[in-house]
Order: sequence, then structure tokens, then C-alpha cells
Amino acid sequence: MILDLHSHSIVSDDGRAKVENYCQWIRRKALSLDGFVLTEHRLYDDESDYRSLEDEFGLLILKASEVETDYGHVLVFGVNEDLRAALDFSRVDLPLQEVLAQAQGCGALAIPCHPGRTRVGMCAHIETRGLVEGVRIIETLNGGSRGEENATALALAQENNYHSTGGSDSHIVSHIGRCATRLATPVSNMDDLITELEAGRCEAVVWESEEWISPN
Amino acid sequence: MSDQKVVLGYGDVSFGDELPEVIPDVSMPMVRRFGETTGMTYWRFTDHEKAREAGLPGAIVPGIMSQGILVSLIHRWAPEASVLKIDTIFRAPVVVDSRPTCRGVVTDMDDEKRTVELDLTLSNEEGETRVLGTALVSL
Amino acid sequence: MDIAELKKKWAGWTFDEVRFEIEAEPLAEFSLACGETLPRYTDPQDPNFQAAPSFAARFHGDRALPEGFPSDREASFDGGKAVDWKAPIRPGDTLIARSHIHDIFEKTGRSGGMMFIVHRMEFSNQNDEIVSIVDWKMIRKL
Repeated sequence: MILDLHSHSIVSDDGRAKVENYCQWIRRKALSLDGFVLTEHRLYDDESDYRSLEDEFGLLILKASEVETDYGHVLVFGVNEDLRAALDFSRVDLPLQEVLAQAQGCGALAIPCHPGRTRVGMCAHIETRGLVEGVRIIETLNGGSRGEENATALALAQENNYHSTGGSDSHIVSHIGRCATRLATPVSNMDDLITELEAGRCEAVVWESEEWISPN
Repeated sequence: MSDQKVVLGYGDVSFGDELPEVIPDVSMPMVRRFGETTGMTYWRFTDHEKAREAGLPGAIVPGIMSQGILVSLIHRWAPEASVLKIDTIFRAPVVVDSRPTCRGVVTDMDDEKRTVELDLTLSNEEGETRVLGTALVSL
Repeated sequence: MDIAELKKKWAGWTFDEVRFEIEAEPLAEFSLACGETLPRYTDPQDPNFQAAPSFAARFHGDRALPEGFPSDREASFDGGKAVDWKAPIRPGDTLIARSHIHDIFEKTGRSGGMMFIVHRMEFSNQNDEIVSIVDWKMIRKL
């Protein structure tokens, strides 16, 4: 199963894509994608209901968040009321250690994203302040990365035996599916996704020459 | 400009259509021409050496020139189009005298209003998106 | 810096009003430098000659920020511009541009902590018709 684990809709301040248009795009362009996760910036969208779009387009659409920490940006899967009560998602300086711990305590999963980017990625902060206990998975393929940023992320994962995910980080319709995550076992909800990711039954993939390729 | 069809009206368009790519002229003479008419003659737009000394990759194309270039891409595709809204995010500098590529695709259609939404990008030679945008266009 | 307090105090009221007289040559030059090829944007002799749709984004007011606003315009950079086109701008028009701060928020990016100030400029012509609304995202490093 292939899921894009990092995307933004118009719910995010800089998102310009409507979710229905993501679905239309995936189908019109015959992208080999089974669904995507909306990871809105600094908030959790508990209002939008995408079940009718899931049915219409035969796609899995899940909701998560991208929060901002002292070690860069972090995707949080499995956001629930307990976690939102424990963390102020609107802050731009959440301690990563706390995000990891609170996520684990609330049955959620925190994954540092685009770690190779300056300032908003984990690698630069590790150089000055060291590794953070509790990180087990990182995003090694990000569709918005430049230059060597994804290679830097992959090297970090390999050095520390982190599991890897991938996501497009799309903010406009046509960028969905630039990168994705291959799951060994199909999932149909957030709980199952977290189980698969925690077990490491996942790999970051990019679409090249008509197939999903893992750069690992 | 490729030799793809010119769009004359809403009926010529389908969701997912790609606009013909354009390699815009962002040479120093053209950026200076833009600067002279808009008053944007600052060194960061017109002087590679000073811009590099300041930590930029070179003199950079003014953001509103990039925006205007993306509007012209739409007009080349659909000469009768009315651009009702253009929203651009300047993610990273476009360097003067480089060879960027403008692209656009149709990402939404409103049959009642006969409008389309477009994704627009201006990418550098490495394929990295430097300017990102969307537009609402009446056809 | 308390962003919510800043927004409460500074957003939503007009702090600048400027008049612009529109002439043909700058309209054509703007279009030509952007690669426009259509005569209605490039040729002042065209019967439908007008400004390119994003033209209003080139204007600045007398002030970028209200007097006393606790941020230095010189230390900011341009994060993006959105132009809402409402009606044609033509030579001979007199435009009045009114500026206010539309929004203020913070986030982190490749440049570190950043404050986003959304500066909105509304342009109306001599007939009191709104012709363009331009949102300019000024980014200030925190």
C-alpha cells in the first residue's frame, strides 16, 4: 500500500489545495497512490469530514498535524483530545522531547519531518545539541526538499537505525504524491497506520520511471 | 513556447491539462528594464557581485516580476482569459541570468462560473520550485 | 513578542492612503518585462489597452507599516503576493490605495522563527470602483 504521509490543504495557512482536487488529480493522472494524510500546520482539523470523498474516489484520507518544535517540524499521527489538551499545537517552540513523550503517552506517533532542512529540520539541531531520546522514525523523503536535504535525512536514519517515511509536503494540488511511504500491510485507519509505522513495516519511496523506488 | 493548442474558451479545457511550458527571460537587461519601470533598481536585483557578498546566490528576480511572468504564462495559453486572482509564494530566490521554467496545470473547474484554477510554478534548472502559486481564471 | 497582542492592536485599520496617476508607458513596460505578448497589455494603441492583472502589486504606499509598529521594514523580506483583480486599470485612471494590516502570525521556516505580516492594499479608481486588492506577506525574522 502506498500512502503520501505529508500533505497540506487550504486548512493550512500556506496550503492552496482543496482535498477534492487532490483526489481528482490522483485519479486523473492515474497516480499509483492509495491515499494520503493531511498534516495541517500547527493545528488539528477536527471539522472536515472526508468520508464521502474516500468513497467517491476509493482513497484513504487520514488527518494528522505538523507541529513546530525546538528540533524542527514534526508530523503527529493519531492526534486525539488528550494530546491536544497536553500540547499547544499553535506554539512554534514545542520541546521535541515533550512532543515525543506526550504522543507516546496518548497513543499517537511523532515523526520528525524534513530533518535535512536548515532550522526546521532535526539534523542541524542535533549537531549543536545532540540526539533526542525517543525518536524512532523520521521522514527521509520530502517532496519539498532541496539539494542534499533528503540525502542528509537518509544518512541520519541509517546512522541511527531510524525507520523511514516519505511524503510530498504538497501545498498545491499537482504536488501530491511526489514522494510517499510504502506499507507492507494495507491499513484502513489511523490506528492501523501507527501500528505499521511503529513496527517499521514502512519505507520511503519516490515515483521514478513508472514505479515506486526506495532510495535506501 | 511549445506548439500545443491555444485555449479559446472554457470548453477547450479539461481538468489536469498542462499549460505549455515557458522559459522566461530573466536576463539582467530584462530585470533592469523591469526595475526601471517599477523603481526596483536595488543592488540585490541588479548587481550579482554585491548580491553574492550579501549571501544571496546572485542578483535575484523581483518577486512581482516572477508573478507577472506567471500571469503571462496564462495569457500565452489562453489569450482571452481573465486572471481574476493570482496568489504567489516566493519560496526561494530566482537568480537573474538563470534559466527557470514556468509551468501550469488545471486543478479545478467550475462549470457554472466557467472558471478554472491553476497551479503555477517557477522552477530552477535543478527542478526545484522557487516560486509557487495558484490562479483563478475566467474563460 | 506577543503576536496575538500585536494583531489586536495593529490589524484592521487604515494607516496609509496614497494617490497614483496611471500613465500608459509604465503599464506597457511592466507587461513587456514580464513577457506579455498580448496587445491589450503591451500596446497603448490597442483599444482595450490596460494594466496586466498583477500590475497593482508593484505599488508601495508612503509607509509599509503603521507609525510606531514594533518591527523594522528593512529587516523583513518578501514572502509572497496575492492580487485579487476586480476591474481594469487604464491610462488616465487615478487610483487611491488604502493600506491596513490584514493579519499577523508566526511560524518557523528555513530562515528560523518568523513573523508574517499580511499587508493589504485596496485600490479604487476615480469612480470609487475597487480595481485590485493586493496582499503582501512581509516576513520578519524573530
